[in-house]
Amino acid sequence: MNEWIVETQILTKRIGNKKIVDGVDLQIGKGEIYGFLGPNGAGKTTTIRMLLGLAKPTGGSIRIFGKDLKREKLAVLRRIGSLVENPSYYGHLTARENLEAVRRILGVPKSRIDEVLGIVRLSNEANRPVKGFSLGMKQRLGIATALLGSPELLILDEPTNGLDPSGILEIRELIKTMPKEHGMTVLVSSHLLSEIDQMATQVGIISKGRLIFQDSIQTLRARAQSGIELAVSRPEEAGRLLLSVGCPSERTDRGIVFRHQSDDNVAAVVKLLVERGISVYRVEEKKASLEDVFLEMTGGEGSL
Amino acid sequence: MTGFGRVFSSDLLKLRRTFVWGLAVLGPVGVIALQAVNFMLRYDWLTKLYAEDLWGGLIDNVKWLGVPALMIGLAIVASMMAGYEHQTNAWKQTLALPISRTAVYTGKIAALLVLLLISCTLLAIGTVLLGVLLGFGADVPVGKILSSSYLPLLAAMPFVSLQVWLSVTMKNQAVPLTIGILGTVFNLYSSSLNEWFPWRWPYLLEGAWSPFMTVVAGLAVGALLYGVGMNHFRVKDVN
Repeated sequence: MNEWIVETQILTKRIGNKKIVDGVDLQIGKGEIYGFLGPNGAGKTTTIRMLLGLAKPTGGSIRIFGKDLKREKLAVLRRIGSLVENPSYYGHLTARENLEAVRRILGVPKSRIDEVLGIVRLSNEANRPVKGFSLGMKQRLGIATALLGSPELLILDEPTNGLDPSGILEIRELIKTMPKEHGMTVLVSSHLLSEIDQMATQVGIISKGRLIFQDSIQTLRARAQSGIELAVSRPEEAGRLLLSVGCPSERTDRGIVFRHQSDDNVAAVVKLLVERGISVYRVEEKKASLEDVFLEMTGGEGSL
Repeated sequence: MTGFGRVFSSDLLKLRRTFVWGLAVLGPVGVIALQAVNFMLRYDWLTKLYAEDLWGGLIDNVKWLGVPALMIGLAIVASMMAGYEHQTNAWKQTLALPISRTAVYTGKIAALLVLLLISCTLLAIGTVLLGVLLGFGADVPVGKILSSSYLPLLAAMPFVSLQVWLSVTMKNQAVPLTIGILGTVFNLYSSSLNEWFPWRWPYLLEGAWSPFMTVVAGLAVGALLYGVGMNHFRVKDVN
């Protein structure tokens, strides 16, 4: 497998007796948009803060660009752009001055300011104090700040939090262009599965501090397979019958449900049941949404 | 530029159009204005009292107002500067940049010192102007005015370090401000205290310790508190 851009090993953060992050092994490949998903309070932000050196892990290791974060923190941070939770800004300064404050620390050319303002389409608002900005504009300014140092890894924590639908769409489209146009790897966290579903290529799901899923978005989608539900008169008997012909099923309140099959197979099942004198009231396709999969994996913790 | 230089220039930029500049000017101007009123209202009495050393009398009077102003001013400015970072949690942005926490912390102290030095300079200029306007003669005791304007700042370094430490590491600025204000009140009544109380130091009184010794003590304790505060800041998790 290729070299990971971000790789953590049994990363742990304990506060008091509570493990906020518990043995997380993140693996993020180059050029991916890694969706970091989990309910509020699952440990996303704490993990991200550790990746940025803002919080110290109580256990485990972090390697970014193949370097140990603890030992080469400044060299690693130079190649990362970040936006953690709510945007940070100085309200009394203009957008341009906010970027300049960060530019002076990064030591990149002044022309970068106009470039990043252009990318997030804030060029026309550059000379207005940020305190008068809408949340969406502040969020875009935050992304511009993150892009200022031409990072190879962009870490965005809940970048669409609190935005209206058009703002969300805008930020999402912006994020999607990053790997293609700027060759970046992106780590984006969210508590909304639909968000991640629409932009991520890789997904990691964290719940109660543990990473419970990490794979491509396709694999996650495959879990959300549909099934066929049959409402029948004698569900128990129907279930045994299906099992005997090699088609396991589960009981539901109205009948039985089995995994999606070809049309012919479904027809064969119905025929079999009818021949044995079991009444088939309804044949329905049941689609499990990603949301269901997510809720099931996270143990029903509120995802919305 | 070094890490510190980059942070420092960034910090100065962050203070653009903020009231800290107004405070840095208002402090010394206020002190001189009050002393102008004091000397004009009681001109005959005060000039008789200080007949032997008119300039010395003025410098002393300025000091008794200037030191408390310095004490409260440094607490307020330190808190305001840290406040700009706390308000929108800008710490997490600053500290995720490729810059050491040592440089960030030192940059904040340096920016505060620049503002305080401006105040001290204005106080010195104001003292000269006031003395000349009051007709105390062209024989200006420059050395005495300079030492009386700048040395209290050096002797007050423990408080500079302490207030920066508290303001930077606490989100709730009520705590450092309260401590700063209480310290100023304590400082007002500190002249009868033992030499070992730092609140007394900024007045640079002649006593068991010479003013030079007091300045050395101020710098030493200031440096110590700077080290302790920075170590705390360096290992602290940022929310």
